[in-house]
Amino acid sequence: MASAAPPPASSSWGCGRRRRVRCSAERQGLFSRIAPVYDNLNEVLSLGQHRIWKRMSVSWAGAKRSDRVLDLCCGSGDLAFLLSQKVGPDGQVSALDFSKDQLLIATARQDLYWKACYKNIEWIEGDALELPFADSNFDAITVGYGLRNLLDKHKAMKEIFRVLKPGSRVSILDFNKSTSTLITQSQEWMIDNVVVPVASNYGFSREYRYLKASIAEYLTGKELEKLAKEVGFSDAKHYEIAGGLMGNLVAAR
Amino acid sequence: MVRASRRLLKDAANIGKAFSDFLACPLSKQPLRHCEDSQSRISETIGVSFPIIDGIPCLVPKDGKLLEDQNKSQVENGADPSSGNSERDLLLAVNIWVTGLI
Repeated sequence: MASAAPPPASSSWGCGRRRRVRCSAERQGLFSRIAPVYDNLNEVLSLGQHRIWKRMSVSWAGAKRSDRVLDLCCGSGDLAFLLSQKVGPDGQVSALDFSKDQLLIATARQDLYWKACYKNIEWIEGDALELPFADSNFDAITVGYGLRNLLDKHKAMKEIFRVLKPGSRVSILDFNKSTSTLITQSQEWMIDNVVVPVASNYGFSREYRYLKASIAEYLTGKELEKLAKEVGFSDAKHYEIAGGLMGNLVAAR
Repeated sequence: MVRASRRLLKDAANIGKAFSDFLACPLSKQPLRHCEDSQSRISETIGVSFPIIDGIPCLVPKDGKLLEDQNKSQVENGADPSSGNSERDLLLAVNIWVTGLI
């Protein structure tokens, strides 16, 4: 993300009464601050279900043995580790994030878990809007809870398209911005009454309050499908999972 | 444990070379050269180096540093440094703007 650049007109901004989306530097700071508790909170807040959603997302990406794959907005590495096992020791996993603190936790986990195939992961500090890869590089790409946090989603999708090999897929897991009032209200209730209070026990209530606004400013499943096709993907399908609380976009180049 | 760590670092060095084969400059999208001396990745196309810190390549555009030596050698060879490749100048200008030096 170009942290010094003003947000482009095409980025999704909230309505006039909602708080403005934070700039890239603020978001980077947020994810760096929560890095030490990020994994624990994911586990607690999802009752461990996030592991299932991530396995589903990796399956949808279509990664297989010996592939070269990318995990974008990798954070502390959950999806990268799953991809690593999928592609095996002859494959390569590039895992990119803008937070050095998250990446350091990922490397520590890599040392701690110590599976032989994890040697195939390279961690990279980078900008999802300016990917440090040549064109048509990857057999599969995953993005887990990252696209929603990017200021310019159109540019991010264009970059993903650029570095994906023809015929390959990207699998993007995130919260679902539902068109159902019931699901939206359920999400908001859970964030207000479960997520934020639990996060406050770790000292991060303000950081997790950001979640509600960011989901509201995200794209619906249909909008994500439309965005994917606009940037050139030949096929795009958004799947709702976890009772509609989560969603996974699968787009094929 | 120590032997395992040493083996991990040695393997990481070898893998680093393999990975560097397809890392590219985030601005020009051209291949990067690994520089052992400065522990950085060099984009020859636009004359920018990107650091490697704690074993992690930092390839955010704003982390790039201009290669001053490249400009000095152009002057020594009698070339006019201001008449450089237009694409390179544009990309350098973008990088300078991003890093807030202007």
